[in-house]
Amino acid sequence: MPLTLEIVTPEARVYSDTVESVVIPTVEGEIGILPGHIPLLTQVNEGELRVAKDGRTVLLAVAGGFVQVEGDRVSVLAEYAVREEAIDEVTVEKAIQRAKEALQQAPTLEAAEVERLEGIVRFSVAQLALKKRKH
Amino acid sequence: MASTRDIRRRIKSVKNTRQITKAMELVAASKMKKAQQAALAGRAYSQLLADMLAALASRIDESHHSFLVRRETKVRGILLITTDKGLCGPLNANLFKVVSEIHTPAKFVVFGRKGAQFLARTRRDLLADFPLHDRVPFSEVRVAVEFMMQKYLDGEIDTVEVVYPRFKNTLVQEPICRPVLPLQSLRQFLDGRESGTAAVAARADDREMLIEPSPTQVLDALLPYYVNRQIHQLALSAKASEHSARMVAMKTAKDNATTLLGNLTLQYNKARQAAITQEILEIAAAQFATA
Repeated sequence: MPLTLEIVTPEARVYSDTVESVVIPTVEGEIGILPGHIPLLTQVNEGELRVAKDGRTVLLAVAGGFVQVEGDRVSVLAEYAVREEAIDEVTVEKAIQRAKEALQQAPTLEAAEVERLEGIVRFSVAQLALKKRKH
Repeated sequence: MASTRDIRRRIKSVKNTRQITKAMELVAASKMKKAQQAALAGRAYSQLLADMLAALASRIDESHHSFLVRRETKVRGILLITTDKGLCGPLNANLFKVVSEIHTPAKFVVFGRKGAQFLARTRRDLLADFPLHDRVPFSEVRVAVEFMMQKYLDGEIDTVEVVYPRFKNTLVQEPICRPVLPLQSLRQFLDGRESGTAAVAARADDREMLIEPSPTQVLDALLPYYVNRQIHQLALSAKASEHSARMVAMKTAKDNATTLLGNLTLQYNKARQAAITQEILEIAAAQFATA
């Protein structure tokens, strides 16, 4: 029985399909999930998420969130998630630039804002790394 | 009967009003579409988040996290989500009615200027008011929620409840008071949720759940996050309600202006005709006299 994978961000459902396996970056390191995995709940780190379906691999960049495996249903809740083909290096680099500039004034910013900006930087870097690896 | 000039002046002003309300209706309609989409898009996420929390809570001792323990309610903490601007029909008034029914001691945190004004007018205990933009950015909601959670942890307030206009559809918005903290009734809440078929199927898997790094750590990360997201979702719903209510109010205003305009035009034509008849009569009379 194949896995049912669902990747949801606050803005949209990014991915929803039945797949053969998925590799997820978690706080404890990368984990691969195949059908019949034991129930699991853990936190997601920023990084690349690999989905195997029909012999092809779909890559996504994700950041911040949680993953739950229950039965053959894998749900990924991510703050950010984007498919590899949707990543635009130029905009991502600009985003990093902007976030870093904003971080220059770190002492005047609120802690939550700093956290958010750092999250953006980490996610952007993860996106770039994914894009580079692909080419 | 009013003079034709007076009527003409009124027609002009009504026409202006109609044009303005029409423009406002169109603006509200486009904003409403966006707000509704945002509210719907976030729904899947918060549902899944709630599912996760439920799965976690059923495998863990509930009593050790302060968000899960119910304590005696001395002072309620209420987050009131209102609009900044008026002209949105009975939306705010309905919310205020809900607030007026609260007689136990309560402290308020508010989104939107209207709510702040109301609370000041009725001399209620307002802790803070926060601005909320049209796009309902998560960061703005988070500031307010974090503030409330801090007050909750400090023991200044014993519950966190949200009073907001729940978006049912474009015509109907229902003002409700929704408890958020404590989450002690998680299991109850879970039962209500079980209706989701996917969740039921998944729960058939009763093997021991592995929670990494540790249940407490995940719970500590998940709980505040859940509360934030939950309230963000409510704020999105409130925004969708606001724009819907405004659009409907503006549409009614526009329709009223159109009716009024029809009546005035009729009146104007009558007055004009009467004046002409009068003039002809006078001329004829004058001619008759000289002849």
